[in-house]
Amino acid sequence: MDTVTWLVVANAAVWLGLGAYLIFLALEQRALAARLKQWEAFHPEHQ
Amino acid sequence: MPKSFLPLVLPLLGGTALAGCQWLIYVYAPTEASMGLIQKIFYLHLPLAWWALVSFFLVFLGSVVYLFRRSPGADRLCAAAAETGVLLSGLALVTGMLWARKSWGVWWTWDPRLTTTLVMWFIYAGYLILRGLNMPPQRKSLVCAVLGVVAFLDVPLVFVSARIWRSIHPAVFGAQGGGLEPEMRLAAMACVIALGFFWAALIGLRKGQLDLRARMDTLWAGNGPSAAGRNRP
Repeated sequence: MDTVTWLVVANAAVWLGLGAYLIFLALEQRALAARLKQWEAFHPEHQ
Repeated sequence: MPKSFLPLVLPLLGGTALAGCQWLIYVYAPTEASMGLIQKIFYLHLPLAWWALVSFFLVFLGSVVYLFRRSPGADRLCAAAAETGVLLSGLALVTGMLWARKSWGVWWTWDPRLTTTLVMWFIYAGYLILRGLNMPPQRKSLVCAVLGVVAFLDVPLVFVSARIWRSIHPAVFGAQGGGLEPEMRLAAMACVIALGFFWAALIGLRKGQLDLRARMDTLWAGNGPSAAGRNRP
């Protein structure tokens, strides 16, 4: 591989890593929202 | 600035600053004479490594606060910082390996800086595994706080390893001003600041999630229906 390809791979690795963590955070946020929604369904007086 | 704007402003600032950094890296900063273009990996590698070290320092501070005050918020800050630190140090290791393969001809060598960094990564990965274990929450927080303090012993070692031992890894900002041209130094510092915005956004976001999860746990435990534990997603 030439140097430019090597640089692209390094950049891609960083952004894939950060992107994967952001996806994990998004899934976590979705799970929390679902839990909150379920709690609100059990407690309509709090809505 | 209101606190609620920070989660929006920090990533935007980080994104804009990192876009500007691409110009600094590829246009403004000169190409290094002996390594050539591959040295540009440095502008990713250095900020990742530095912010990972700062993350672990935050784990240390949060752990000390927890041990003195038993503050659940400090414990959650440790969790957020440890996750971010493991991610960034992992990426620093990956970019370092890619750089090493091209400029040293090997993917890995048991150099003091590389070895202490790998040990640090394993320690904090173990810390995260400990956090995921099914233990009584207060006991887990206490054990994690002790580990958060003890684990930090390796962090200064990572920083000084290239200076106190014979290492092929350069000490970038050394005692004699390091080996960087002023333009390279400026580009490197700009990248550090730009990634810092992202780092702060990630820590803030994760800490917010952990706070919300703790609040939800309290709500479900205190006011949830009897079947809450079985029903909750």
